[in-house]
Amino acid sequence: MPKTLTEQEVGARIEEIRLRPKRFRDDRVTMAHGAGGKASRSLVEGLVVPLLGEYAPSALGDAAVVTVEGTRMAFTTDSFVVSPLSFPGGCIGDLAVNGTVNDLAVSGARPLAISLAMILEEGLPADVLEQQVRAVAAAAAAAGVQVAAGDTKVVERGRCDGMYLTTAGVGVVRSGAELAPEHVRPGDKVLVSGPIGDHGVAIMLARGGLDLEADLRSDTQSLWPVVESLLDACGPGVRCLRDATRGGVATVLNEIALAAGVGVVLAESRVPVRPEVTGACEILGIDPLYVANEGKLVAFVAPEAADAALAAMRGTAAGAEAAVVGEVRADPPGRVLGKTGFGGHRVIDVLVGDPLPRIC
Amino acid sequence: MRFVDEYRDPDLARALSAQIAALTEPGRHYKVMEVCGGHTHAIYRYGVHDLLPDNIELVHGPGCPVCVIPMGRVDDGIAIAEQPGVILTCFGDMMRVPGGRGSFLEANARGADIRMVYSPLDALRIARENPDRQVVFSAIGFETTAPSTALTVLRAEQEGVENFSVMCSHVTIIPAIKAILDSPDLRLDAFIGPGHVSTVIGCRPYEFIAREHGKPVVCAGFEPLDVLQSVHMIMRQLAESRCEVENQYGRVVRWDGNPLALKALSQVFELRPFFEWRGLGSIPQSALRFTAGYARFDAEQRFELPGVQVADPKACQCGEVLKGVLKPWECKVFGTACTPETPIGTCMVSSEGACAAYYNYGQYSRQRLDLQVL
Amino acid sequence: MSFGESCSATEGCITCGDTAIVLTVVSIDDADACCQDATGRTERVATELVGPVEIGDRLLVHAGVAIELLPHDGVPEA
Repeated sequence: MPKTLTEQEVGARIEEIRLRPKRFRDDRVTMAHGAGGKASRSLVEGLVVPLLGEYAPSALGDAAVVTVEGTRMAFTTDSFVVSPLSFPGGCIGDLAVNGTVNDLAVSGARPLAISLAMILEEGLPADVLEQQVRAVAAAAAAAGVQVAAGDTKVVERGRCDGMYLTTAGVGVVRSGAELAPEHVRPGDKVLVSGPIGDHGVAIMLARGGLDLEADLRSDTQSLWPVVESLLDACGPGVRCLRDATRGGVATVLNEIALAAGVGVVLAESRVPVRPEVTGACEILGIDPLYVANEGKLVAFVAPEAADAALAAMRGTAAGAEAAVVGEVRADPPGRVLGKTGFGGHRVIDVLVGDPLPRIC
Repeated sequence: MRFVDEYRDPDLARALSAQIAALTEPGRHYKVMEVCGGHTHAIYRYGVHDLLPDNIELVHGPGCPVCVIPMGRVDDGIAIAEQPGVILTCFGDMMRVPGGRGSFLEANARGADIRMVYSPLDALRIARENPDRQVVFSAIGFETTAPSTALTVLRAEQEGVENFSVMCSHVTIIPAIKAILDSPDLRLDAFIGPGHVSTVIGCRPYEFIAREHGKPVVCAGFEPLDVLQSVHMIMRQLAESRCEVENQYGRVVRWDGNPLALKALSQVFELRPFFEWRGLGSIPQSALRFTAGYARFDAEQRFELPGVQVADPKACQCGEVLKGVLKPWECKVFGTACTPETPIGTCMVSSEGACAAYYNYGQYSRQRLDLQVL
Repeated sequence: MSFGESCSATEGCITCGDTAIVLTVVSIDDADACCQDATGRTERVATELVGPVEIGDRLLVHAGVAIELLPHDGVPEA
């Protein structure tokens, strides 16, 4: 008979298991592996990274930072398989640019150039292709990046959903920017750059084929102006930035809490959410904290820099509705807790899987 | 949005919380079971326990239909899905329930055509759109959901859709509550009754709980203030030594339920003599099957079902957890072998399952944390 | 448009959560009603289980099927 454990001991064991690298033990890839939650983590940490061995990335952030002849460069890549191809506020073309640009930006890097690889489905109407490439061009111009290289493949009808795009990007890291989860420490403030959940909800509603009375649009946009302004205003007071894409703000907070070994407390009533998003989430039965964004970042800043950071973000178009939403604690390490608007609290965990995949 | 906020007001919550505390007898420990998974969810989602005194314990009940599906039913579903030409449809949470041979999600990755639907009527639409395929709906749920399935079958009959059938695993709530009440090692003070099940069956079916077992029942809505108010109503009954069925969710639930829904149910379905519940074992007259008149829509008769019997994993103590005898963390495999990513027992699968809820939220729910921020 | 799009499994499933939502009838098509939520989203809802409905009625909807017709004044019925 095994010794009966106390609740505290069981809790401690759960925490220990939770912090272990995830193993990949599935026979097949399922949709859950692409949803950004725990299953995705098991695929990356349990299969890809171990197999790459010494050639694996040392840190799993938004972009890798490599030093080339004394210059710190950020490098990243991302694929886009969104359906439908166009939706209120954006399309796969601008997502492909802004997604990669933002991965560079939150690494503290000014985006310089991207590559664009297109996988097209046989039968794709030329005007759809033209519309998407125009969107790529417009987003690249807005973000100030060159589309410096590209590739095209066509697959048989039915093999992909119209088009898939992959972009890779390089940027130069701003001098003095040292953004990493390890720099986050208890007492730091947590900010978001604006109302959350717009992108994911816009896509979910676009999929339903409904006429939207509510003016809900994807927030796809470049975040570099926000980052630049933050770094100008706060310098090393900016500890870590994350782009709150797949899995939403909740997932980003969990990633940082785990990587930095800190606790994060979120004041849920302070998180900006548009009423239309709140309403739609209520009806869809989902939590805006887990909904994807394509133009919102989460910033961890030193407490003394928080006011300057907020002002700096609010001074930019993409950060006009920024807010301080939470605080870093020493305890409980690796956990995100929410103070609910109702007056209680809850644990905000990473989702296991997401039944609404492919929104980025 | 106003219709939401009025049931989540923190000031009202604080006021109710104080009234509840005033009604508790010092030194007495109260155990209240919320039967329905939706309540479990609301309690964790909004931190309702923070507003209750330490001596009121909320015990999670069996009201999660996914959690009570035996593994063999999942295997039977997969066996149907693997027959040529079949499209199996189901609700989202069924996708991850482990059977003896994996889950629907894994069967899909192996090549079966299993699709998630939001309504059985969507399954019927898929059948209409694919006349050369056999479309099967894997039906789960309590009395809230069973009328939707019954209505879909009635429509399939009306429209003459012959390639549609249902694998019926609908269960009924009252026998499950009876099984819990008959469990010798359980001491409960009261029940929070399921809100939407009661929309269909009404409040009368719970009267035996008050009459024969001497425990108050309050049918409750799903907003956090609903839950808090139902606890308040229970505490008032206990303080006044009353014992009756009350309806907190009067804005939705009628005392006698929905007669049209009940009629559709009895037209299409009848009680099974026995149904195997995961963890709770075989419970008489606790599930639905097709009546003779609608037997042609019964997937169990249309397809050759292996009728798989899989014993619950030995280490798993879902049954004790479902009955509220064990707390989730007291199960031997909880949090180690059995986690939300690799669930052994069904209580760990659905986010409404007692174990998954405790795993994700529970440990900190009982600590009074200082969360003053900013 | 299909039935029951308003439900999702992200935060819990339709049946487990015993989830139902309140929608308002905006048009009627035989036994189905086109219903709208407070954000303007519309959904097709089967109404046989609540009897005849009128435009403006509020329905409690579970899995694409109305399971209760709610009183207009919000006062509980006996």
